[in-house]
Amino acid sequence: MKLKEKRVLSYILPALIFIIIIFLIPLVYTIITSFMRWNMLRPDLGIKPIGFRNYIKLFSDSFTYATLFRTLYFVVGSVVLELICGLCIALALDSEFKGWKIVQSILLIPFMIAPIVVGFVWKFILNSDYGPVIHFLREIGFGSFLTEPLLSNPNAVIPILIIADAWQYTPFVTLVLLAGMKAIPREPYEAAFVDGANATQRFFSITLPLLKPSILVAIVIRTLTSLRVFDIVFIMTGGGPGTASETLAFYGYRVAFDQYNIGFSSAINMLTFGIAIIFTIFYMKIIGGGKKHV
Amino acid sequence: MYRKNLFGKIIIFIIIFLALFLTLVPLAWITLSSFKVEADQFSIPPKWFPERLTLDNYVTFFSNAELLKSLFNSVITTVLSTFIALLLGVPAAYALARFDWKHSNKISFMILLARMTPPIVMVLPFFMIARYLNISNTYIPIIVALSFFSVPFAVWMMRGFFQEIPNSIEEAAMIDGCTRLQALKKVILPLSMPGLAATSILCALISWNEFLFALVLTGKDTRTLPVLVNMFVSERNIEWGVMSASAIIIVLPMVIFGLLVQNDLVRGLTMGSSK
Repeated sequence: MKLKEKRVLSYILPALIFIIIIFLIPLVYTIITSFMRWNMLRPDLGIKPIGFRNYIKLFSDSFTYATLFRTLYFVVGSVVLELICGLCIALALDSEFKGWKIVQSILLIPFMIAPIVVGFVWKFILNSDYGPVIHFLREIGFGSFLTEPLLSNPNAVIPILIIADAWQYTPFVTLVLLAGMKAIPREPYEAAFVDGANATQRFFSITLPLLKPSILVAIVIRTLTSLRVFDIVFIMTGGGPGTASETLAFYGYRVAFDQYNIGFSSAINMLTFGIAIIFTIFYMKIIGGGKKHV
Repeated sequence: MYRKNLFGKIIIFIIIFLALFLTLVPLAWITLSSFKVEADQFSIPPKWFPERLTLDNYVTFFSNAELLKSLFNSVITTVLSTFIALLLGVPAAYALARFDWKHSNKISFMILLARMTPPIVMVLPFFMIARYLNISNTYIPIIVALSFFSVPFAVWMMRGFFQEIPNSIEEAAMIDGCTRLQALKKVILPLSMPGLAATSILCALISWNEFLFALVLTGKDTRTLPVLVNMFVSERNIEWGVMSASAIIIVLPMVIFGLLVQNDLVRGLTMGSSK
C-alpha cells in the first residue's frame, strides 16, 4: 500500500519542521559559537571568530581529562552497579513467585521520581546531623570514618552519586532484562533440565547468552542517560567539594552560567555531544537501524 | 523457571527482601519526614517515627503563593508540551509506520539522536535564542524545550504501536469509503488508545521531572516545581519538613500515572528495542 510522497510528507512535515527548527538550529548555533571568543563578562573583547582555539584550549587542558575521567568513573560505576543489581532482581522476579507483580511495581517507584527529588532524598538521608544513615553507621561502629560530612569528602562523593543514580535507575535495567528473559523460549531450559544441568549451568549457558541483546540495550541506554547526569550532582554536591564531583555536563553548565564563557562552554558541550552521537550510532546498529524493531 | 529447590528460594527471598528494603527506606524516610513537626526534624539521633504527626508541612506548601504558582507552572508546561508532542508526533509516527519512504531511516536516526542528546548541549543555545527574541520570561522557551524531548519520544513510541496494527484494518475501512485521514481518526486511533495513553503519560513524566531546562529557561513567574525545590535546598537553612512535603507532591502524581502504564515502560524507554 504505497502512498504518494506528497501525502507522506503532509503527515511527517509538521513534526519534521519542528524538530529541525528546535534541534538543528540550536546545534548549528552551538557549533558556530564553539569557534568564537565570546565571554559575556568581557564585552570589551567582543565576539570574534578564533578558529579552533577553544578546542585547542579544551584538549590541552589537563582539567578536561580529569573531568572526562570523573565522568567515566561515574558512568562505568553506575552502569555496572545497575547491571549487577538489575540482573539479580530480574532473575528473582522471573521465578514468578507469589506476588511478584506487586513487588515489581514497588521496585519501579524510584524510576518515576524526578531526579532532582532523588538528589534531595539522598542528601537528606546522608545528612551528617539529621540523616538516619550516618547515625546508623555510627551506631554499628563506622564512626571513625565519618568525622566529616560524607558529601564533603572528595573520595566519597562520586561513589555516593553512583549509589543515588543506581537507586533511581536499577528498576529500568531490571525491566529491560526481565522483558528479555520473558522472551527466551522454554525449550532450551527443558532440554537442559532433562540433561541434568543445575541452575548455575543453566544460567551461564542459556540465560546469559540469550539475554545478551537485552543487556547490550540496557548498557547503551544507561550509558547515554548517565552521561547527561546533572540534576543529582547539582543538588547534592554542586560539583564539589572543589571540583571532585564535576562531570562533563556540569562543567559545561558552570562555564556557561557561572563564568559566562559562551564560546568555551559550547566547545565543552560539543565534546559531550560527540560522545552521545557515537553511542547513538552504536545503539541504532544494535536495534537494526530502527527499521524492524517490533 | 525451574528454581524450585529450597536453596534457590532462599536466594530469591534474600534478593527481593534487600531490593524492597533499599527501595523503601529512603521513600519511607521522606514520607515520614513530611508529617513531622519541626522539632522532630532536627532531633539527634534522628527519629524514624515522630510522636506527633502533623499536616503542617502540607498546609505550608499550599499556603505558599510561590509554591502554588510553581505547581501551576509545572502543570501548564507539562500539559502543553505533551499536547504538542501528540499533535505533531502521532501523524509522523503513523506515516513512518505505514509508508516506505526513502528518507525514513535518516528521519528515524535524527529523531533518535534528538532524544538521546544530553540537555546540556541544547540548553545554552535555547537560552541565548530566547534572550535574543526577548521571550525569556514567558512560557514559550520552556514549553518548546520540553517538546524537544517529548516530540521525538512520541514519534518513536507511537510508531511501534502503529506497526502492531495490521494494515488490513485501514484497507477495509478505506474500501468502505473512508479517506485515509478518516480511517486514521475513526479506526486506528481508537485501536491504539492504550498506546496513546502510555505515550502521553511518559511524555508528561519526562516534562514534569525535567530540571536543567527548567532551571535555565524559566524566570521568576514561570518556575516549575523542581526548580523551586532546588532553590529551597540550596539555601542555608533547609526546611526539611516542607521540602519533604513538596517532594511527595512532585512525586505522587507521576508514580500513580507511571504505575498505570508500567507494562509499556520498557518499550517506551528503550525507544522500541523490545516489544
